[in-house]
Order: sequence, then structure tokens, then C-alpha cells
Amino acid sequence: MGLVFLYSASQGNIETTVKQSLFVVLGLILMFLLSQIDPDFYKNNSLLFLIFSIVLILITMIFGKEVNGAKRWLDLGFFTLQSSEIVKIALPVFLAAYLYDKPLPISLLNTLISMMVILIIVNLVRIQPDLGTSLVIFIAGLYVLFLAGLSWRFIGISFGTFILSLPFIWNNFLEPFQRQRILTLLDPNADPYGSGWNITQSKIAIGSGGIQGKGYGEGSQAHLDFLPETETDFIFSVIAEEFGFIGACILISTFFFIMLRCFFLAINARDRFCRLTIGGLSLLFISTIFINLAMVVGIIPVVGMPLPFISKGGSSLLSFYIAFGIIISMATHKKLMQK
Amino acid sequence: MIDLNETIIEKKNFFNRLVFVYLFFGMLFLFFLYRTFSLQVSSFTDYEIASLENKTREILIQPRRGIIYDRNGKIIVNNRPSYNLILKPSQIDNIDEHIEMIGNYIELSEEDTLYTKENFKRKAKLNRELVLKKNLSMEEIAKFESRRYKFPATFVDERYSRENLYSEIFSHAVGYVGSLGDDSLEEILNDQNLRSKETIFKYSNGYIVGKTGLENTYDKKLRGYFGKKIYEVDASGKLLNELKEIPAKNGEDLYTSLDISSQIIAYEQLDKRRGAVVAIEIETGAIVTYVSSPSFPINKITNGMSQADFNQLLNDKDKPFFDRAGQGRYSPASTIKPAIGLYGLENKIIDWEYTIDDPGFFVLPEDNRIYRGWKKGGHGNINLMDAIIESSNTFFFSLAYNSEIDELVNHLSHFGFGKNVCIDCFIPDDGLLPNPEWKMNTLNFGWFKGDTVNMGVGQGYLSATPIQLAYYSAFLAKKGTLNKFSFIQDINTTQEDTFMSNNLVDDDWKNIHKSMIGVIENPKGTAGRLRDLKNYAVAAKSGTVELVSTETKEDYQIIREVEGQRDHAIIIAFAPMPNPKYAVSVVIENGESGGAVAGPVAISVLNSLINNE
Repeated sequence: MGLVFLYSASQGNIETTVKQSLFVVLGLILMFLLSQIDPDFYKNNSLLFLIFSIVLILITMIFGKEVNGAKRWLDLGFFTLQSSEIVKIALPVFLAAYLYDKPLPISLLNTLISMMVILIIVNLVRIQPDLGTSLVIFIAGLYVLFLAGLSWRFIGISFGTFILSLPFIWNNFLEPFQRQRILTLLDPNADPYGSGWNITQSKIAIGSGGIQGKGYGEGSQAHLDFLPETETDFIFSVIAEEFGFIGACILISTFFFIMLRCFFLAINARDRFCRLTIGGLSLLFISTIFINLAMVVGIIPVVGMPLPFISKGGSSLLSFYIAFGIIISMATHKKLMQK
Repeated sequence: MIDLNETIIEKKNFFNRLVFVYLFFGMLFLFFLYRTFSLQVSSFTDYEIASLENKTREILIQPRRGIIYDRNGKIIVNNRPSYNLILKPSQIDNIDEHIEMIGNYIELSEEDTLYTKENFKRKAKLNRELVLKKNLSMEEIAKFESRRYKFPATFVDERYSRENLYSEIFSHAVGYVGSLGDDSLEEILNDQNLRSKETIFKYSNGYIVGKTGLENTYDKKLRGYFGKKIYEVDASGKLLNELKEIPAKNGEDLYTSLDISSQIIAYEQLDKRRGAVVAIEIETGAIVTYVSSPSFPINKITNGMSQADFNQLLNDKDKPFFDRAGQGRYSPASTIKPAIGLYGLENKIIDWEYTIDDPGFFVLPEDNRIYRGWKKGGHGNINLMDAIIESSNTFFFSLAYNSEIDELVNHLSHFGFGKNVCIDCFIPDDGLLPNPEWKMNTLNFGWFKGDTVNMGVGQGYLSATPIQLAYYSAFLAKKGTLNKFSFIQDINTTQEDTFMSNNLVDDDWKNIHKSMIGVIENPKGTAGRLRDLKNYAVAAKSGTVELVSTETKEDYQIIREVEGQRDHAIIIAFAPMPNPKYAVSVVIENGESGGAVAGPVAISVLNSLINNE
């Protein structure tokens, strides 16, 4: 399904589509392989994975390919790996493995250790800079912590602190272009041809799709270059333009179905580690979807977040296949004696 | 390792928390469905339009502007074609070579070549056209057309410029056109139900709009309807292909009531003096002559003149752009007397037998102030008819003294004073018909009896435009009923002004006509020297507008040293009597004598109108 959409979004670019299909095949194989492994393997080796992915990030920082001022990609010859996509998976798995045997509620010490790990990785990704992915990683880490039984008191205190430190973050951590994007969100019409262009054109694309859409390959917004980043961030706009409300509903519903399925898998998982991992990974998946959707319909600022399984980009695609490979492995390997 | 009991708590805890997060996302999910729904279904139309606007650009095609005719079907304003050489840069590979080849047949100026080369790349990128040379001669067109096959990406196109066949004669009546600003274009497009969006200005559709005169008043009719070519474009604005063409609808021609020959006579007679002539066909209220002097070269204004020439016109002390016929304010002076006489008759203050003794001045009983007549020693014992013929001031001072000011104002308003009398004049002035309330509000002074007395001879605050004076003249001629004026004959049947009189009878109007004929024919009349200039009877009333009040003739000789202080000459007339067809008003600033200076102009215009039929 994703390939079909991508073909139109890339304006009939065969090469892009073929390349993406290769990734899909690769991803499917990877998913199948990963799903055959016993979950205990992940549990026992999670620290290794994490260290491996952190090393990958460090290598990227030194040897990475620089595109648009951001060093996010590691050139592996046949494809460029976005290292942050790997750590995105490794972190939740590691946290699940770290926390699965800790008593409830999670002690302050364990909380702080987890937070430390999360913050170090998030910051490593943030300085690439890749704000979108770092946010997702941050959220994914928090999910696992939360599901593992993070004390409500800690949640309350950190949330309060976060709110209070917002102005500080605004002034010190955000790049000017990031601030501009947030301001644009508040009033996209203030500068419709400048920073508001993406959101305005995206809304036009979605809105003009109507109920039935303009037809496959007929989206004028996408094909006459009004819409930016049609293959990645704004692919949902293309789908909505060409397939209308019906198409958008089917797509969102598919995601929703996957989301529900993960819910049941998580509840019925064989042990706490699996519960936490499935919960964390599925919420990571869902968050990515909603951040992308919220971005293209103009609810949150443009952060650069692909739509899982649909957008162009091998790393993102592979990372989600890996995630689902792990989920499937945990769902299929039942222990004879549970609990 | 945690024990069984804890595991159960943990599971429950996990379940609760997962449900909590999922509920959050479930709500988000619903919200997205709603959001997508609102974008795609509720606001679909808005976004569909926005998307259409995004992908299309329109090139407006201006319709040909309507031709303006005079009342005999002769053309006053026409559209003159001019021919331009146009390139399609996107189809040309080497512009230098191309220009050089064309240069073999058509002489190209340095300026044109440079402009073309500078803009070539940009236009080619956007797939737009480019003007290589304007105003080709017939010879150049022939040379090019015979070699056309060599230049597939080049063609000759026609555009129209507005041309008034009588450069200075109709400058104020017909007015001029000018290029259209963005604001007015938007307004017009909205008017014609065309979307006002980015429109591409194409070389051939010189967007013009009527700026003054009839060109402005009837702009909508003359303009026609814009057509458009709709192109598909990409985000960079490059024209991809033509989707649709909606042809323009040409403007309607305008058949005016203006008469070219009388217009020329009036213009020549005014002879660049400051003044105005307005003549009316009495039966219809159609304006046949409308000249303000001095005038200006209208085609140069339309099609471009140098800034220096324009500034010279703008700073000319005679103010050629000022439309004196419709906007100049002048005291009616003695021409008001027939209307004042009618007021006396209507209100039974006087009748035709009533006489007063005119010693040459009137003393206002309230403060013994003296109001003088023009003739030393006065006109002796005098009745209304003679008072009009000889223009006795004393008679009308006395009559006005016995008037109620509010009633007098109301009476005069029927004769066209203080109101717009024209349906389609360009920004007509209402003149000023003063009343006590006006004086209190503007001058902060109470109304004096002396103000009423002054009004009796058309002096003081009372002022009227030449077109209002023409209305007044025609209203007298038609005995108290008249259509509102217009430059178009056929719309002129509805708006009629009728004087609802209680006491006036036909004989009263006839006597007024008789006394006005006497102004010329009677040996004592003030415009006797007009007697031999025509071969039919003319009813007239001359007036001399005092700009500076003087006690004696000697005093006047002193002030007349300054031209701007000299009296204005003014006359109203209608003819031929007894069944008048045309009414006319003439004002000549600082012309000094209504009868002797303004009179001959009025008679010439009437001659032209009456003798040419």
C-alpha cells in the first residue's frame, strides 16, 4: 500500500519506488528473522543493542554525511543509515529489560538512572540536529517508564518543572528556525508564502481532496510542486488529496487497527519485559503517526517526521519492521508456564 | 525478582496505565477523523477553490472599448489600432541570433534590444510573451509578414489605443481614459463575477479605464466584459498549457446627445478665455453642448505626455483641467431676475401692473443701507416687464425685501439652484443656494434682511454652475417643467421636475418670455447689440457678476486694472421664440459685460444649433 502511495507522491519516480520496495522486502525478511528469536534474547542483550546504537550515533557524528546542515546519516555504500532510527528501537527495549524486575513503584534511583539514559540519548540525537526524532525517542522512553510503574508523584513534579522551564527551553534550546515554525503554527496566514507555505499548501491539498479525492496521480497540489516534501513528511496530504476522505479514513483506520492489536498483544504478553516492550514500541509507532498527522493538518509545527510504513526513507521503514519483528516474536513465543 | 502477588499488582497497574495512554490516543484518533472530515468535507469548497487557484493562472483579455458618437452619428472617440512585434521567448534558443535576424528586416532600437535581452531569460522560464518593438509601421508589418515562416516564435499583434478625433473640444464633456490601477481592476473583476486573483498583464490588453467625463460615467457600459485565458501553472509560476479561453465581450457604443458642430463653435467662441458654455435641447433635457475653456489636449493625456508638459498644464493659472461647465461656481447676478419676478407673481406680492419708483438705489429700512442699481438716476416708474428688460436692481431689491427667505429659497430650488440637475455629469457641483441655517452653520452669522435683498439680484452667497444656469434657462423656456439633464437622449424620459404652482398662469410665463425677448429686441434692453446677430427671436437675460463691490463707475475703473477683479460676464438664453428648442448658458470669467461679451457666444451657439437643422 505504502509503495503505491509513494509512487504517486514521488511523481512517478520509478527509481524511488523500486528502492523503497527493496527496503520493504529487506524489512519483511528482517521482521521474519527477528520474530523467530526468543524474547529472552532481546532481554539479555538489550544493553548490547543500546551500546551498539549509541556507537552508531557517535560514528555518525564523526563520519556522517551532512545534508542541509544536519549530520544524521551514515553512508553504508548501498544505503545511508539514519542512526537515530535504530536507537529509537533499542532504547525502549533496553528500558524494558532494565525495569522488568524492579519492584513497584519504581524507586527514585531507578527512575533517575532511566531518565539519565533517556536524556543522554535524546541529547545525542538532538545535537545532530534531529529534533523530531529526539522528541519521539524521549516520548518512547517515557512510555516504558510510565508503563513500568513510574510514581505519580514523580510525574507530577517533572510535569510542573517542565511547564515552568518552557520559557527557558524556548530561549536556549530551540534554533531560530524551530521557533519560527512554532510561531507559524499559531498564525499560518501571517506569512503564507514564507514559513506558512508548507502548512497552507498541505491544508489546501487535504481539503481539496473532498470525499472521493481527485484520483490516483491527479493531485494537482502534489504534482505541480505546490506541496513540499511529498515523499516524506507530507505524504498523508498527497494521499488525502488523491483518495479523499474515504482514503484518509481507510489509512487512519488501518493504523488504528494495528494500534488496537498491539494493545491486546501487550496485555496478553507472557511476562513483564514483553509487556513493557510491546507497549513501548507500539506507543512509539502510534506517536510517530500522530505527530506526522498533526503536523500535516497544521496542529503542531513542522518537525520532520515520516509516516510509518508509508513515507520514503529506508531507515525509518526498517526500524519499524524491526520493531514489529520484536513485537511478533514476543507475541508468538509463549512460555508454557506464564506469570 | 518480584513475587507472584506483586506480579498481579504489576499486571493490573500496567493494564490501567496502558488503557490510560490508549484512551488518550483513541481520542486523538477521533480528533483526527474529525479534523480530516472538517477539512475535506465541511470546508471542501473553500479548499477546492484554493487548489484551483493554485494551479491556474489567468490572462485577462480586455474587450474593445465602445465608440462614442455625437447625436448625428459622427464618431467622437474611436479606438486606433497599433501593431507590436511579439516574441515567445520559451521557443527561442538563441536570442542574440534571433534579434540579429529580425534586425535585417525591422529596425530595432538599442533600447528595445537591450530590454528584450534583459528580460528574455525570465520570460522564457515563465513561458510568457515579450514585446520586441511597439508601433510598427505598415511597411515593417509587410516586411515581417512576408518572412513570417522564418520566425515561428515571433508574431505581430494588434492593440488599441483610445483616440478622440477632436482633441481639445470634448476634453471635459467626454473626458479621458487612463491605465487601470490594481485596485480598480479588482473592483471591476468582482463586478463582472471574475475572481480577482493574480492576473497576468499581457502586452496587448492595455488595461484602460475611464477617468473623467462620459468615459468615466459610462465606463461600465463602454468597457464591456473581460475575457480570459486560463493556463495551468506549476508552483514556480511557469505556464504549462492553456486550459480554456473565455472570449471578451466588447463594450457597447455610446450614442450621446452632444453636437459636434455647436461644440466646435462654442470652443472657438470662448477662444481660450476662462469660461463655459452649456446648451440643452429643451424638449428632452439632452445636453448638446458642454464646453469648458481653456481646454487641454486629451489624446496626449490618454496616450502619454511628457512630465514637463503635464506639469505645465497642471500649473497653468487658467486651470485647464477644471471643468467650469459642471463645477465652476458663479453668482447668477441679474439672470436671476425672471425667477424672482415669478416668485412675486406666485405669492401675489406683485402683478404685471404693479410699479415702483426707481431712483437708482434701494434703501434698506432697517439700517438705511443703500443698495445701488447699475444706472445712475434710476429707471423711474417701472413695472416687472420693464424691470427685466432694463434690469432694474431697485425693483428686485424691493421685491426681495418683501419676500420670506425660506419661501424664496424653496422657490429657487425648483429652477435648478442648489441641486444636481444632471444624471450623468462627471462630479457635478451643486452650487450654493444659501438659507439662514446654512449661514449660521458655516459663517456663524445670523441671516440679515440685506442678504435676502442681495439674493433678489443674484448677488451675495447665491452661486450656480453653468449647467445649473442652463437648467434654469430651459426651465423658464419650458414654463416650469423639465427633464433632468443627460448626455444620452434615450434615457431621458423619467426624471422630470415640475414646478407646482398655485397662482401662475400660462400668460405669466408668456410675459416672462416676452420680457426676456425684450432684453434683446427692446431699445432699452441690456443686450441690444445681439439684435442683428440672428434671424429669429431669442429670449435672454444677461448678468454681470460683481466680484468687488464698488460705489461708483470711477471706483470700478480702478479695480478693473487687475483682470481677476473684473466682473464676470454671464447670459442665459433660449430660442427660437415663441417655441424654443434650445436653451443655453454662457459664463466668461472677468468678461465684464453679460450682454456684450457672453451674449455673442450664446447667439453663435444657438445659430449653429438652429440653423444647421
